[in-house]
Amino acid sequence: PKKYQFRTMRQKLLDTADVLDEQIDSMAKTLQKHHKIPESEFGNPCIASQFSVYCCGRIVPDSPSAPVEIRLNPDSLFLETSRLGGIGQRISIDVQFLSEYSFFPGQIVGFKGKNPSGERFIVEQVLDIPYLGAPASNKTELLEYKTNLDGSSMKTTVLSGPYTPSTKIDYSLLESFVEKLNTEIKPHSVIMFGPFLDITHPSIKDGSIESVPEIQGKKITTLDGFFRAVITPILKKIDSRIQVILIPSTRDSISSHAAYPQNSFERKSLQLPKNFKCFPNPSSFQLNECLIGVSNLDSFKDIKDVNRGKIGEKNRFDRIADHILQQRRYYPSFPGALKTRTGSDGTVEHISGADLDMPYMGLSELYDVLPDVLIIPSEMRYFVRVVKNVVVINPGYFLTGNNAGTYVTLSVKPPNPEGDDDDLTCINDDDQLYIHNIWKRARVDIISV
Amino acid sequence: NGDDLLRPLESCISDAERFKGAATLELTCTCGAHFTFGGIQESPSYSVTFSGIHCNGCGTELSSLRITSQLERLIRKHISLYYAGWVECDDVSCGVHTRQVSVYGKRCIGNTGRSVGCKGVISYVYTDRELYNQLLYLESLFDVDKARRQELRPLQDDRDDKSSPDSGEMKKGISQSTLDALAEQNRDTFRAFQSVVQKYFEQCGRRYVDMASLFNFS
Ligand SMILES: [Zn+2]
Ligand SMILES: [Zn+2]
Repeated sequence: PKKYQFRTMRQKLLDTADVLDEQIDSMAKTLQKHHKIPESEFGNPCIASQFSVYCCGRIVPDSPSAPVEIRLNPDSLFLETSRLGGIGQRISIDVQFLSEYSFFPGQIVGFKGKNPSGERFIVEQVLDIPYLGAPASNKTELLEYKTNLDGSSMKTTVLSGPYTPSTKIDYSLLESFVEKLNTEIKPHSVIMFGPFLDITHPSIKDGSIESVPEIQGKKITTLDGFFRAVITPILKKIDSRIQVILIPSTRDSISSHAAYPQNSFERKSLQLPKNFKCFPNPSSFQLNECLIGVSNLDSFKDIKDVNRGKIGEKNRFDRIADHILQQRRYYPSFPGALKTRTGSDGTVEHISGADLDMPYMGLSELYDVLPDVLIIPSEMRYFVRVVKNVVVINPGYFLTGNNAGTYVTLSVKPPNPEGDDDDLTCINDDDQLYIHNIWKRARVDIISV
Repeated sequence: NGDDLLRPLESCISDAERFKGAATLELTCTCGAHFTFGGIQESPSYSVTFSGIHCNGCGTELSSLRITSQLERLIRKHISLYYAGWVECDDVSCGVHTRQVSVYGKRCIGNTGRSVGCKGVISYVYTDRELYNQLLYLESLFDVDKARRQELRPLQDDRDDKSSPDSGEMKKGISQSTLDALAEQNRDTFRAFQSVVQKYFEQCGRRYVDMASLFNFS
């Protein structure tokens, strides 16, 4: 897609700042409108005042040197204001009067509270962020999908790289999986997340990728050539009646766009047939009526919240999924995660990271509606949860370390707007518009590879 | 902003000068030996022959894939380091070094973290200019014409900076006629290595923006 075809490696500090500023102001507008707060009651939380005010800002650590790997604590939280809301200043926040909260760096929040001394903003209330609406389809479309499915469920298989063991480059497990896909699983579609060939794999670093047995005898000179010679033939074996969707990872060697948001692979340069579709990371697309939102950056691992009360007792993945839906961004953490290695001499070597291209983070927002299904692969244990009627899936990795991992099969009962069950919710009789209720019609199986 | 500083035309600077700060390409051989690859020039650790790059330790020729995979890994590491977005304050008495960015971008959040007080200016530690230069350096390693003209960044410049400025005849090592022959024999393979760097140049915002700014005299 065109909007993803921006040039990378040209990040301007002022453009980054514009995005960070706008995230606060647009949330302030949303909250003002939703809670019907008069603009006069919004104030600057950094200025001393005896009266309570409403304000909006970003949760940040109290110190510039706080590493992202470390979880904040309730006493180390600051609120950053926008240029408009508080000339960009940051103020210590006091959350001791809140019975329940969950905060993480980068989160945009709305508060009511006061700052009596000028030193600390005492939070009295956290403003609820309204959720986006659910996607809907009209009766004609739904009947068409129903007819296409011919009474059977829509079946989608979801899997995520790495597809090789962590100690060697070997695609034999993927090869046998493709066989199983064609003969046993037989889905309508497959969603495959990268990395297909992970640039951080140790066999790339020391060059020992050359020793892969399948390629001996053939002259392969580059990693891109390796992809076409080794990975493409395996993918091509997928039955042409199965629609395949490829989502890249910023660690994919074949992608020259090594930043998030990330442009799609080029199907033609990968020499893949027409049943393959390449989509950006993140993106959303429809499989029949079902709106699927995908992002290949590990929010479930990277969002580390400090919490208190009932919300903290909730399943952690529910809490994080809820944050993603509320923040309306697939990766709401800032700064993004970092992976480094400390040598014996104390030097810190950079390995990889979230690689956020901040000026383009607008492309990582959920736009008008919530997805029916949200898929974010994570290094954390696989799971399926329903959060705010969204089916949230982490399929796990195809291989974890050197062991076979997991994949997911999503089956959705065909929509029947003429039935009298509550599988669909009619929201507008005139236009015959229905909410999909995928969470009521879906069955998700997590299966060992 | 370093971009706007008046500087000599880039083509007039020697590679030794221009690529001084660039990270070197370390290659690992099948025998486990590591060495710094500096293009077709004299090195105790490797030799370029008519058939390619050989390890001096074990005599093995390094396969193209062995070289390009290590080259591409290095490129991607630098792109990722660039996107880590480290920033720092130019006021030495402050010295803030962080990945947090104020909504004003160039304003320092200061050691108090409150974004008040420090008048220093924030900028990215690893600039797009440095990243671009890093890519240019890696591309230059496989520039056979530069090798012939003996214009490559010397291998030893990291080790002894104080060595006497070389006077032409100090350059021993490979004879000119051998250099010429090696350059021709390796031209095609080295071009394939350069294509790995060029894959990222095509993505690189800096290259395109620079082209446009050439004609902008305001
Ligand atoms: Zn060797
Ligand atoms: Zn400063």
